[in-house]
Amino acid sequence: MTDNGSISVEVVRGEMQPWTDWSGGRAPAGGPVLTALLADLLPSSSRALVVGPHGSDVVDAVAARSAHTTVLVRSVSDAEALRAATPSAGVTIVAGSLDGFVDRLGEGDAFDLVLAADGVDRVMSTDSSQQDWQRRATALARTAAAGAVVLVAVWNDFALTELFDRRPAHQRHGDDEWWPLHDDPSRPTSPAQVRAALAGLGLDVSTLYSVIDVAGEAHTLIEADAAAGTRPGHPAARLAVRAVDAAAADAPLLAPLAESVDAAARAGQLGAVTPGWLAVCGPVAARTVYARSAAPSSVLTANLHDGRWQLTDRTGDNRGSGDLIAVAGTAEVPDTESVERLLLRAAAAEDVPEFRRIAGRLGDWARKHAAADSLGVVRLDDTGVDGDTFASGVLAWRTAVDSSAVELLSAAWHRFHDRLVGGHHRHPWPPWMTEQDLVRTWLGMSGEEPTTGVLAQGRQLADQVAAVADVRRTDAGQDLRTSIADADAAKTRAAELAGHVFGLERTLKFRDQQLKVRENRLRALRTELRNIKGSRAAQVAEVIRKVAVIRDPKRVARAVKRRLPGR
Amino acid sequence: MHHHNHYYGQTHILARHCGLDDEFPPRLRGYLQHGWNVGCGWNPVHEFFDGAWRYVWSDAPRRRGHSLGRRNYHVIGAPWLYLMDLEPELGAVPEEKREGTLWFLFHGWEGGKIQGDHARLIDEIRETEPGPVTFSLYYTEYDRPEVRGFYERAGFEVISFGRRGWNYEGTDRRFLYKQLAAFRRHKRVAANRLSTAVFYGIAAGCEPAVYGDPMVMEGENPLFGGVARVARLWPEMHGKNIDLATARDIADQELGRAWLASPAELRMLFDWNERD
Repeated sequence: MTDNGSISVEVVRGEMQPWTDWSGGRAPAGGPVLTALLADLLPSSSRALVVGPHGSDVVDAVAARSAHTTVLVRSVSDAEALRAATPSAGVTIVAGSLDGFVDRLGEGDAFDLVLAADGVDRVMSTDSSQQDWQRRATALARTAAAGAVVLVAVWNDFALTELFDRRPAHQRHGDDEWWPLHDDPSRPTSPAQVRAALAGLGLDVSTLYSVIDVAGEAHTLIEADAAAGTRPGHPAARLAVRAVDAAAADAPLLAPLAESVDAAARAGQLGAVTPGWLAVCGPVAARTVYARSAAPSSVLTANLHDGRWQLTDRTGDNRGSGDLIAVAGTAEVPDTESVERLLLRAAAAEDVPEFRRIAGRLGDWARKHAAADSLGVVRLDDTGVDGDTFASGVLAWRTAVDSSAVELLSAAWHRFHDRLVGGHHRHPWPPWMTEQDLVRTWLGMSGEEPTTGVLAQGRQLADQVAAVADVRRTDAGQDLRTSIADADAAKTRAAELAGHVFGLERTLKFRDQQLKVRENRLRALRTELRNIKGSRAAQVAEVIRKVAVIRDPKRVARAVKRRLPGR
Repeated sequence: MHHHNHYYGQTHILARHCGLDDEFPPRLRGYLQHGWNVGCGWNPVHEFFDGAWRYVWSDAPRRRGHSLGRRNYHVIGAPWLYLMDLEPELGAVPEEKREGTLWFLFHGWEGGKIQGDHARLIDEIRETEPGPVTFSLYYTEYDRPEVRGFYERAGFEVISFGRRGWNYEGTDRRFLYKQLAAFRRHKRVAANRLSTAVFYGIAAGCEPAVYGDPMVMEGENPLFGGVARVARLWPEMHGKNIDLATARDIADQELGRAWLASPAELRMLFDWNERD
């Protein structure tokens, strides 16, 4: 037995030590996105239970609305740390396993609010009997009083982040896999299965969010039906792509996830392939989307109404540092696909006239908004089609110093280049057209004639945008498909350069033949000239020429004088 | 790069459009389509080398080429349209002064001669054409007295615009200029096969007609389907009186009017810019 007498946490059967769920591959559930949802959603309660590892921000959010809150974590050290972070007397911290906790519950001990935003995968200990998801969820349900508000997350083995992880299944998870948590037939792996499984436990799901988390911290929540209803390049899909990229930043991947997110969205299945779901049983959520905003630590919320998303940025002010400033506040964007998708489609179809038309309209739109001083950073991957024109997307930045329309367009086209070429998308431009050539071409299509300075400024701004808007992959490196595609592209390039040499040799051969034709013609002309000179007519002409000279005595005298010795 | 690119002085026209020397145009890094066809832009046995770009007039050859496993296409529009833009006045006469028909006999090439019933064709032309007929022969037929004589004896003015050249030699770089000037004084363009010249004529403002014995060419490769396929694809382009608006739409598509590129764009596409 471990001596737990000096700690200010309660202990039930199954507590783990040494152990922590706070560090390692997955953080406790928490973060501003989750707490924003809880702030909107949680009713006041008398007895609240938080099950599993959650950040102190979540515990605080629950405690703020509950007369008494109990937090159950399996690790003693985690419990102690949480106790230190949450000294409130209204919060009881319990260390132990969920099965041990439930066994200790008496009549009337049930809770009117139960939160398991980390799911039920980290609630049992090594001392628990092997319990599948169904039994763990059943144990959780037993803690809830009749009519209680219950929030429970379910992690998805059919998530794109799982399917495209190039590691074998047994290498994807941490030390908590003392039995294979994921090869579990009872685990629900679709929105419908989650609803059905929870209904079977007496928990009716009022709202189901598709959750995309970054190592345990919620990044983006999209109401599952809205996720199923979005389409590639639409605002919800754009947010999902961004979040999934962030979620997989540390994972070695088989292929880029963005394409698969879009494919799932096209199939109406985006809600089924996110890393997890958060089921809300009880209240109906008021907002469709919660997501990390453009500004650090701020939250973007969104609701879809009549084909347009109403956006609110919870920071309420413009924040940022350096060259780009995140634009907060409220906005409305159409639920349409991005202009980048239109351009990629036109490029893949090698439909340059269509590409030119879109680029032209984009230029008109940018100049119009620049004239009204309402043009910020233009990211084509987050600029929507709005009728005959365009609309800025869900995340907005502006430059710290004033930038002209052509500079912002230059940056937009540089970014488009990076995504077109870096993503190995098909397009009709030859490989010797450099980035500068392509951007110059596209800017020309947008009605701008860029200077070298504008191109350089666009490149610099595009890099700044990438730094704030894109996910930087860590040690996991490049995905396998991109690596293979890069290698194939290099082979193709080598073969094409060899072909180019062959072609140049062919050209030399044509030119050699041309020279031969000309040489033969010159030779024929020389022969003809010799024949003419040797002809009787030419000899007569020569005599006539000499006679003509003799007829000029002064000229003859000068010639004789020149030939005299001593001259 | 390939000497075919110089045929009819097409590369010369593109060089001029790009503000470059059109007497000795720069080497074009790829293949330039030199005539309208229903294939991938070139004859079925044309040589291609890896990495060369294929510059075609319109999107249909690109699509057909793609289906044949060929890549690296870029549609740029026909040099003819660039020439019309460069020479807006060349040979132009007031519309009411345009008269007669510029008639094109399906032509052979350096490797194949055409065979057909010329007498019967002449009869049909006489029955059809309302005004004077100028008969254009490619030099391969023009230099055959037995062919040229048919049409001269019929009372037609027989002309030839020159040679397209071979291995950069003998290219009449004014070939298309002369053809453009001729179109602009004629009211109609006609041919016994739907062909490049018909589309050129339509673009230059002529009313088109396609009729008469299409004749055959020695060694003609039917891989792309030949005359019958052309008739199936463009039935509205065959006949003695063709709807002009329809013809113009089709000519614009086949010559790639929507694909025309600016000088700056073409210079980058052709790798014609000086590099450091």
